Amino acid sequence: MNDSPEEYHISFFKPTTRQAHFNRNLVVWLVLVWFAAIFGFQILLRVLQEPTPEPAYLAFRETWSDVKNNTATAEQWQQFGKANLSVLGKIAVEPGEIRILENALNWSVLQLAHDTMQAGMKRDIALFERLRNSIHTISDPEYIIARQLLSAETSPLLELDPSDVRTVILPLHLVAGAMEPLATKTVRELPGIMEKYLVHNQSVLTDTRFLGFPFHYFYTAVLLLVLFVGLCWLYCVRTDRLYKKLSIED
Amino acid sequence: MKKYLLSIGLLLISVCAAAASAAPHLEGSFKVGPAIILITILVLFVLVGLFFRAKDTNDFYAAGRGISRVGSGMAIASNWMSAASFLGMAALMYGSGYHGLAYVVGWTGGYVLLLILMAGQIRKYGKYTAADFIGDRYYSRALRAAGAIIAILISIAYCVGQFGGIGLMFKWVMGVDYSAAVIIGGLVVLAYTLISGMLGVTKNMQIQYVIIIVSFLIPLFILTFKFDYFWVLPQLGYGAVVSDAVSGIPLNDANQLMNSLGHEFGMVAAPEYAMPWDPATGKSFFQWIAIAFSLMIGTAGLPHVIQRFYVVPKARDARWSVVWGLFFICILYWSAPAYAAFGKILSSNPEVGRLAKDAIVVYTAQLGHVHPLIVGLLAAGGVSAAFSTVSGLLVAGASAFSHDLYVRVINPDASPKRQLLFARLATILMAVIVTTIALAKLALIGQLVAVAFSLAGCTIFPLFLLGIWWSGSNKQGAVAGIIAGLLVSVVALTYFVAGKMGTTLPAHEFISYWLGAWYFAWFGAPLAIIANIVVSKMTKPTPLEIRKFLVENVHT
Repeated sequence: MNDSPEEYHISFFKPTTRQAHFNRNLVVWLVLVWFAAIFGFQILLRVLQEPTPEPAYLAFRETWSDVKNNTATAEQWQQFGKANLSVLGKIAVEPGEIRILENALNWSVLQLAHDTMQAGMKRDIALFERLRNSIHTISDPEYIIARQLLSAETSPLLELDPSDVRTVILPLHLVAGAMEPLATKTVRELPGIMEKYLVHNQSVLTDTRFLGFPFHYFYTAVLLLVLFVGLCWLYCVRTDRLYKKLSIED
Repeated sequence: MKKYLLSIGLLLISVCAAAASAAPHLEGSFKVGPAIILITILVLFVLVGLFFRAKDTNDFYAAGRGISRVGSGMAIASNWMSAASFLGMAALMYGSGYHGLAYVVGWTGGYVLLLILMAGQIRKYGKYTAADFIGDRYYSRALRAAGAIIAILISIAYCVGQFGGIGLMFKWVMGVDYSAAVIIGGLVVLAYTLISGMLGVTKNMQIQYVIIIVSFLIPLFILTFKFDYFWVLPQLGYGAVVSDAVSGIPLNDANQLMNSLGHEFGMVAAPEYAMPWDPATGKSFFQWIAIAFSLMIGTAGLPHVIQRFYVVPKARDARWSVVWGLFFICILYWSAPAYAAFGKILSSNPEVGRLAKDAIVVYTAQLGHVHPLIVGLLAAGGVSAAFSTVSGLLVAGASAFSHDLYVRVINPDASPKRQLLFARLATILMAVIVTTIALAKLALIGQLVAVAFSLAGCTIFPLFLLGIWWSGSNKQGAVAGIIAGLLVSVVALTYFVAGKMGTTLPAHEFISYWLGAWYFAWFGAPLAIIANIVVSKMTKPTPLEIRKFLVENVHT
């Protein structure tokens, strides 16, 4: 072997030995599988996705214009209130958005309460708020009873089923000071907030269940990792076999 | 003697039991039981370190040359599993659902690249540190120094997230505020590193792996069992938890399942938790892809990860240790999303309030009525994960300073005593810098660690990739590549820091989105590779001796 650049040149894409040739082909195949498995699947998810609304969003869309114009029926106020409660029950909601949603929820609850009941309900809510601010722990028995009583008083207004989680959440978002007509900011921003939290990118890959998982979640969180270990194992086995065949001492 | 030990043991058990009977509080005062578990585990690490003490520098660097592939795999996993894996990953999924899985995929998929592109060849090259490789392969003292400085910067960036995790866990155990907890935790980890950093690292890592994984899995079995899911294999059993979070869980009086605060196990439908790039999370498809890609190439460029392959007997062992290492890592990564899913449901009642996302693993166990001592073990596992990584990173950073910078570039005649002094000073300086940055609480642990990955992906990864696989890559090309990678890094980090300080720079929104601090390598790495290739083609070829070495030693 002389010392010319051609004799001592390494290039992944231009292998000069049988071993290098085999290694290049193996690496190319593995990288292709790796790439397709990770990014190909995500691209497929992106291509197939459809903006899919939750039932609460449909209820909001149906009632919003009447609510905005204050011409909604009792049933529409109930649907509207429940839709707001569905978003308030989500953990991710920002504090600024919570205030807007609470304005909408409280106004709908007030609309549903009979005139003779409104003053008493406002008083109960204010008392509960005061109690909530004064307790040291949420396991305080007096607080728990007050919360249950307020839930029992207000849940029927929205016709919430006793097994509905929203019966538990409702008293925690009732604010006497927010029982005002919809603020300009609420009217402006509420549709965007509802769309943000109640419309999701779904497809057959997200709606199919596999071993209890939504399929796409299983694929990304479980199967891809199995594949990574498998690809590494395959590379080692194939390389060991080649080295043995070519009698290469590592 | 045995009687004394028995008495001390009984005393510890009774103190722990007394602490365990206290009412469950998510936060609060000093927790005796978890504190004892934490101290015991740290003392155990130091004792194991003393017992398996490295006898000389070579023994320290190549401590693993006598251990098995499985043992080496455990060491890789322990080295890898930091606070970002233990605490941060569940936090990312808890906060942004499916988007968090980009981190799971990124932090595991990178090992495939590392194995098939680098592991065996790095071992064959036979250098101890990343800077050694860069300086040697690109025949340049300046590049060696640049490599060492970059390795230190990566170590600092990586440590910031770890210190955040240590701070959160110390805050939880001691009941002090975050700033005090970071300072106390920083002092403890510094003392730990100075005492044990040069001890039997690899043996320690295997024991650390066992403690980390056991402490992480036990609460998960308990949670899936208590809440009536498939508990035999929680890594599959939590699938139904995710589906329940998506469709919502009605209140069910018959089951009487409750969290530790007395809220029934129920929640409104939350499809945003599992649906891809959901608008509610504010994350996009591009960000998912960019994060996964950046983390994967960053994995193959992290100096302390690459360094693990120098310490196995043969190239074949280097390859197989990756397979085992990845498998051991995956055990934790298959499990972490389960904590996020349970956490989502157990903390869904507004009365729980806003929880620190980075501590959601511990909060979930608490909310799930897991015994306080086991929660203490879990927190201790989180601290162990951070400690094992931080001590490794501080030692790597300190050795980059003393070995690669001070001895190789500044003062080649330095005595071993002086080298050690500089290594210790560098360790202390790094710990001070990291503590100061961690106090600013710039982002979630996982995101802060991702900065280190992008930095590594933009700088070290291209140098190793081309250095190994293309002999045409020369010194000038390497300089051009490193400048391009650093330029992108500086721009991305400047915009990130400016944003945190409330300053708006030109095209701020555009740059912050396309070159986000945790994924700028998607652009920086390809740019650095292209710059390296173009400049290498235009300048003098690589010297013959380097090419000969590559052909005869690395690829034969």
